[in-house]
Amino acid sequence: MKINKLTILVLFQLIFLSSCEDYLDLSPISEETSGNAYETKNQIEAALVGAYESFQSSEYYVWDNILFQDVRSDNNYAGGDNPEIFQIDLLNITPTHSRLFTHWSNIYNAISKANLVIERVDLITDPTLTDERKKQIRGEALFLRAYHYFTLVKLWGGVPLVTNTIVSTNAEDVNIARASIDEVYTQILEDLETAVTLLPDTYGNDASINKARATSGAANALAAKAEIQRPTPNYTKVLSFINAVEKSQANYQLIDFPKLFDSNNYNNAESIIEIQYLGGNEGNFGPQLLLPPSISGDSWRKFVTPSVNAVKAFDDEGDLIRKNASILFESVNWVDEYWGNTSGSSIPFAYKWKNASGWASADRQYLLRLGDIILIKAEALNESDQLNLAVVEVNKIRNRVSLPNLIQAQHSSKEVLRNTILKERRLELFLEGQRWDDLVRNNQVMSTMNSLTEIDLRTGNPVNYNMTEAKKLLPIPQQELDRNPALVQNPL
Amino acid sequence: MNKFNVKKIMKKRKLILLLIFLATATISYSQATLKGEVKDNTNELIFGVSVIIKGTTIGVTTDFDGIYKFNKEIPANAVLVFSYLGMKTKEVTVNGRKVINLILEEDSEQLDEIVVVGYGSQVKKDITGSVSTVKAETLESRGNSQLGSLLQGQATGVQVLSSSGKPSQGFSVRIRGTNSINAGSEPLYVVDGVPTTDTRSINPSDIDAVTILKDASSTSIYGAQGANGVVLITTKKGKTSKPLITFDTYTGFSQVWKTLPVLNGEQYRDLMTELGLNTNWGNFTATTDWQNKIFQSGLSKNFQLSVSGKSEKTNYYVSAGYTSQIGAVRSSELGRANFKINLDQEINDWLKVGSRIAYTSYRDVDINDNNNVNAGGVLLGALTTPSIIDVFNDDGSYTSNPFQNWENPFASTDGTQREYNSQRFLGNLYLEAKFLQNFTYKVNLGVDNFNGIYDSFLDPTRTGYGRAIKGQSINSTNSTKFYIIENTLSYKKDFSKHKVEGLIGAVTQKFLWENSSIETRNFATESVTTPNGGSEIFNASATKSEKANASFISRINYGFNDKYLLTANLRVDGSSIFGPKNRWGYFPSFSAGWRISNEDFMKNVSFINDLKLRAGWGLVGNDQITNYAYLGRVGSGANYPFGGAAQPGTFPASIENLKLKWEESAQTNIGLDVSMLDNKINLTIDAYVKNTKDLLLNAPLPTSSGFNNAIQNIGELQNKGLEFSINTKNIDNENLKWNTNFNISFNENEVINLVGQELFQGGIAGGRGEASLVREGESLGILYGYIFGGVDPQTGNAYYVDKNGNSTFTPTSEDRTIIGDANADFIYGFSNSISYKGINLSVLLEGSQGNDMLNATRIELEGMSDPKNQSTSVLNRWRQPGDITNIPRASFGNTDNSRISTRFIEDASYMRVKAITLGYDLPKSIIKKLNINSIRIYATGENLFTFTNYSGLDPEVNAFGGSNTVRGIDFGTYPQTRNILLGASFKF
Repeated sequence: MKINKLTILVLFQLIFLSSCEDYLDLSPISEETSGNAYETKNQIEAALVGAYESFQSSEYYVWDNILFQDVRSDNNYAGGDNPEIFQIDLLNITPTHSRLFTHWSNIYNAISKANLVIERVDLITDPTLTDERKKQIRGEALFLRAYHYFTLVKLWGGVPLVTNTIVSTNAEDVNIARASIDEVYTQILEDLETAVTLLPDTYGNDASINKARATSGAANALAAKAEIQRPTPNYTKVLSFINAVEKSQANYQLIDFPKLFDSNNYNNAESIIEIQYLGGNEGNFGPQLLLPPSISGDSWRKFVTPSVNAVKAFDDEGDLIRKNASILFESVNWVDEYWGNTSGSSIPFAYKWKNASGWASADRQYLLRLGDIILIKAEALNESDQLNLAVVEVNKIRNRVSLPNLIQAQHSSKEVLRNTILKERRLELFLEGQRWDDLVRNNQVMSTMNSLTEIDLRTGNPVNYNMTEAKKLLPIPQQELDRNPALVQNPL
Repeated sequence: MNKFNVKKIMKKRKLILLLIFLATATISYSQATLKGEVKDNTNELIFGVSVIIKGTTIGVTTDFDGIYKFNKEIPANAVLVFSYLGMKTKEVTVNGRKVINLILEEDSEQLDEIVVVGYGSQVKKDITGSVSTVKAETLESRGNSQLGSLLQGQATGVQVLSSSGKPSQGFSVRIRGTNSINAGSEPLYVVDGVPTTDTRSINPSDIDAVTILKDASSTSIYGAQGANGVVLITTKKGKTSKPLITFDTYTGFSQVWKTLPVLNGEQYRDLMTELGLNTNWGNFTATTDWQNKIFQSGLSKNFQLSVSGKSEKTNYYVSAGYTSQIGAVRSSELGRANFKINLDQEINDWLKVGSRIAYTSYRDVDINDNNNVNAGGVLLGALTTPSIIDVFNDDGSYTSNPFQNWENPFASTDGTQREYNSQRFLGNLYLEAKFLQNFTYKVNLGVDNFNGIYDSFLDPTRTGYGRAIKGQSINSTNSTKFYIIENTLSYKKDFSKHKVEGLIGAVTQKFLWENSSIETRNFATESVTTPNGGSEIFNASATKSEKANASFISRINYGFNDKYLLTANLRVDGSSIFGPKNRWGYFPSFSAGWRISNEDFMKNVSFINDLKLRAGWGLVGNDQITNYAYLGRVGSGANYPFGGAAQPGTFPASIENLKLKWEESAQTNIGLDVSMLDNKINLTIDAYVKNTKDLLLNAPLPTSSGFNNAIQNIGELQNKGLEFSINTKNIDNENLKWNTNFNISFNENEVINLVGQELFQGGIAGGRGEASLVREGESLGILYGYIFGGVDPQTGNAYYVDKNGNSTFTPTSEDRTIIGDANADFIYGFSNSISYKGINLSVLLEGSQGNDMLNATRIELEGMSDPKNQSTSVLNRWRQPGDITNIPRASFGNTDNSRISTRFIEDASYMRVKAITLGYDLPKSIIKKLNINSIRIYATGENLFTFTNYSGLDPEVNAFGGSNTVRGIDFGTYPQTRNILLGASFKF
């Protein structure tokens, strides 16, 4: 008996061990692999969803675009308690600033996800994936790649241009040198011009898809913004891209300004593409950081305090509608070094997002909206010496917020109108992550920052922003330099 | 190894197993011709005494009842040799008797001590590798809930890294330095033959002996898992036929041994005014001593009951224990209940089965440490919360800093209800069959099943975050299922002067991990704390993963004339971590020993009892990295909404690397064992070099690749060191005994090659960058930062020394350099135990010399850049031009004055009186009347005295826990505590 049991045990072992190689050949249970993750229609759609997801998972697109555009410029102060954000405000950004590396790596991760879709989509043999959808998927991924390179080139200038997926860790495959600014823009525009031909105007009647996915309207709008931002813009091309936006079947329309930011009109007619948040686990944590105690329920000092200079700009223009849609004053129990050095002072708050919703708001950031594009059009018309047509565009934007048409003194010359448009953009796009780029594009960033007078109430002295030519671009993150010997630092 | 070769090995195995089967079936038996029982001088029967007919190799051993039997005819004039480790060998002439009973006497000689080694045991004198043992007496001499604390200072080459004093911390052990950068560096723990990882659930009271295998020749039998050393834990078994009942209990008290002086309310107000911060100070009049509120007197209790014994062919040990601990920091707790059943049964003369079963139920409440007050860190919260606020606001919510919503540390200790519960079942069943006299076949099936549940609930009212998200409940579970199946065949034979042992076997192991988590938010009340009370499911996920290993092991031991000893091992290891091309690794080792004392020329050197020279070389491997590491993994969860609903999204999580292979460590060891002066002095010296190559390095990639890093076989590490251990019996007579052990270990670690990469790690809060660097030519654990020059008397700003030696206020990242080394030059332990009649005293000193610490707690306490309370050292800060000081001025929002620099590097060398125990064995005369065998009462003091220049709360901490590379950083880490234990143990 006992012997029999032993025999059974021994035999069991033999059977068990003889399948040794199979025993060790384990595949992930809760993950796919590069070998099996991109075979069907639904899988490539999932990869594309993953590429869009970078708009939520990259902190740059959540709220750091506001820090690097509005706080870095004259629109807002750092607020809050974060030393690194004070450094952004005071233009003391060093290569070890941790947010630089975070954004650089997050945005390149987004690009790699787009590259993957571009590479893989044509290899899908699943018959349920139609040729039309294949083209669209490719177009969407090209748009995303272009969007992210546009972000990179504005922040850092020429950056490594990676347009394929990295499959090897060999130094020669990963240590990629910086391309020139022009090369990056050329790639962006090439991608967008291809995307325009692949993408539809709409995906049907559902705005929550049409404003979520890249469309040909979005590709044209982004192309216009990229073309005008590059060092030597071709204004004719800018205007032709915008013309295509205006002609789009999507029928983009300006809407009542406050409705753009009242949280009841997501995916509205003016929106070309916006980051989709639903609240809850698809929520936006950004608004909680900005909104005052009465809305957020918090009692701690909030970030991105509107500056004295910016509030004055609204007041000088008598622009109540946009001011009230963008800024909320509230008395608080903390002190603010610019607005009130005693507790109980009334302090302005960033207010374009209206709901904190416990760190999980459904409020969004527009990636592209028509109001912005109309002012870009005005800029392009002005630069191509069509001042009167430019004024018409500016007035469209002014009239909808009950401001009068521009007077002669505001468009007496190309230079004057250029400043007028820049000012209009500031009020229109306050807190929408545009200001620094606008100042750079109009070559106003040095003069604006160095003539800015912001009194620090603790000392009674104005802040010295000490803006230099080098500070137009951010330093390449030190951690990336440490990893990639092919990179060269920007002038510091 | 290719498939063909594997099959060949398989075929051989089949043949061998068939042979075993045939052999076992043909054994026959006969009646005993001579038998007897063997006892010790306390009249207890002894198991395992070897009884040999002198001048032959014929012999038997006693069974569990101390009974031996000869089945052959024994010549009437034969002489029987009785030998047993720890006992004096006795010779008895048979004189035709059929029954010979015998009493063996204890021997002070220790050379015959049996040491458990991988897949077997060896007599100490025959060991050729480097092995340390810690015996039950050491573990039992004082109460402690953790094995790690008991090992500290006890063995050379074994560094117990206590990264904090938290009851729930567990411990991290490094054997002969850190061998890897990204792969695991913890040794393998094997409890009664079952490998395990979490040592917190092991009850020290159940342990009979701990063997630490340090060099490759002793660990390579564990191949892939042996690279970091192996800790073999053997639990107790019955020793007497009369059941032995023991009851142990202790009660302990603990507290932090130091507090740090911080600013009072008035000084805080001065500082805030200097920073330009003003508030209505009249509203803030409290005088709260936060350290006093947060640090409390800890209490621990422990009860252990065990019954052990043996009868006929059965040997048993059963125990139950309960430990509870309330920590010295508010709200930290630990509780553990253990059950243990050990059973061995001889079915007949050749077949034996047995089992080791342990069940542990564990619970703890953790403390948020290693974080600043912004992130809810309790220790830094207690230090940087100003005294001018109370604990609660009028509405019952927690107060916060007057200028920032940094809530006081109670929000962290009391604001979140949280606990971690786990259950673990660790057990094995073995069957051992002896056949053909010299062969033993053993099959061992082991399981380790572990289930952990973490619950936390943040109520919707008392904390700011809780209010914002309207309450939050998290329930996460993790379970590990592990099994191991081992088949071994061993052979043992002595031919005249030759002693041969051989072992072959096959081992398969498999892990299955399962994790799940659910988080809900939006609670109406705090009366329901589980996730069902929340209206919004914020996160719900579950994942699984697996790992499998298959191995073939073999070993040969050969001894000649008790002088020359040879050991050779080969283990072939396969792991699911690697791709088909590099799945198999081959790990051989060779070692030799020369017992010089047995040579003829040493015969006259009478003061030396034993002298053995050992040398060994071996290769061991490491596969302790992410599961499925070679595959290009694609993760889920990158979801994004289209059409108003989240759509499933995927993302590439890693780059495929089919070339990925075993990390290999080649180790060479030379050692010397000396016993002198009638075994009163025992000295062991070892020297070793370990070269680890093809490191499984999670090497950073330029992130423009889209990936942050990739696991590659890159680089080379070296550890080399010297170890000395000396045991002396200073006095040894009937009433007075005095033993001393001193051990000291030197280890030097160097990164030999990292293909030019530099790894920056150890970022600490506040955006001051990374404080740790891995660099070629340096050791792991160096600290990196700026060189602090001083404080400019004109401006009050800190200046630094740049790379050209010039002073600057604005150093760039290139000016950073190596500013400290967290590695100790040496670590040591010194223990003395003295007993006089029933009184015994043992003192353990333990220390570490030459290690630096970055006191990042001080950066928080002296930074003066935000409204945190600061330490009193900032009273010396610069205030006006002309002030000469080394504390810069206060400067709001500016971290330039408090960069990671030499200013915060301190010498963290220490020597501490780790434990003093005074015990008393009650005289037999008294306790006999109570029908009790023995009663011992004792008092232990732990960490009573600490000698260090380190200014922080405790030098024995690390904010990065058991990290391989980031060491020596104190950032509000829970300190080691001073403990007093009062205990008693009873034996019935």
